[in-house]
Amino acid sequence: MRTQLNLSDILLKTALIIMIGSAMGLIYNAVSPGGIALKGNWSPKITSDSLVVPYGYEEDVDPPAISLDYAMMKFQSRKTIFLDARYPEDFKAGHIKGAINLPYEESEEYAPQVLPQLPKEEEIIAYCDGTECEESLLLARELRELGYEDIKVFFGGWQEWLKAGLPVETGE
Amino acid sequence: MKILKALASIITDKRIVLIFRVVLGVIFIYASLDKIAHPEQFARIIYNYKILPPFLINVFAFTLPWVELIAGLFLILGIFTESAAFLICLLLMVFVVAISINLFRGIDLNCGCFSTDPAGKKEGANLLIKDFLFLFLGIMVFFFNKNFASLSLLFQRKSKHK
Repeated sequence: MRTQLNLSDILLKTALIIMIGSAMGLIYNAVSPGGIALKGNWSPKITSDSLVVPYGYEEDVDPPAISLDYAMMKFQSRKTIFLDARYPEDFKAGHIKGAINLPYEESEEYAPQVLPQLPKEEEIIAYCDGTECEESLLLARELRELGYEDIKVFFGGWQEWLKAGLPVETGE
Repeated sequence: MKILKALASIITDKRIVLIFRVVLGVIFIYASLDKIAHPEQFARIIYNYKILPPFLINVFAFTLPWVELIAGLFLILGIFTESAAFLICLLLMVFVVAISINLFRGIDLNCGCFSTDPAGKKEGANLLIKDFLFLFLGIMVFFFNKNFASLSLLFQRKSKHK
């Protein structure tokens, strides 16, 4: 019967488990059809309009990305609908004034009530937290498939809007 | 004090520790499977944690779930039991730190703990509670494992009989 734990033995075997697991992961990744590259490209990109966008954004096919200036101009025109893709809790805590909340992660639940408020021919600007998030892009892609033609993404999002001291509101 | 002592003797009982071992092992195996099946989505989740340097993201995405799987499997079977429990505790502590950092940053996060489905709801503090619970199981196994019903015991017995 073992009386006390042998630390170096434990560490050695821990390293062994890590090596076995890593080796199997490496082999599986190499042979599996769903395998991924050893090194992925994950950094945010700069578009031809000098906008910072998430790495997953494809300029040629995705809905257009817009700048803070453009968003501000459209906000002042009062015709454009701002669509907040964040969670309802975040929306309630603060959002662009007049924005409508359609949480991407819960869109199935929210879409039936929100979509009727969105005329298909209107200009819609989707946003989420900032360049770190992708909900606005994912939501914009889905809406475009549903036939919303004039949908744009404001990647600067809530963070940039807030920083600029532009009109915000809280609550539903 | 009597109650505490009784409780301590119960949770360090070899059968209870065996249950802890199996439960924790099953949790880790279960948590690894979906990530193994969807490395790309899991890589995206790691990316969203914004902790690892980009060149390490993919490597972690296809090795970490396998390490979890092997550690869980070894824990259940009783192979290198202490080491498997130690590794699982280590991983859990890393997860606690990673989740905490992002809770603190207020980043909208999909945990990627059990599922790589982007619709998986963020749970914030609940995740930490779960992690600490698992950590407790891991610590119990690490310190009180008596190799009850384990393969390593089988090997020991065999070598003694020789």
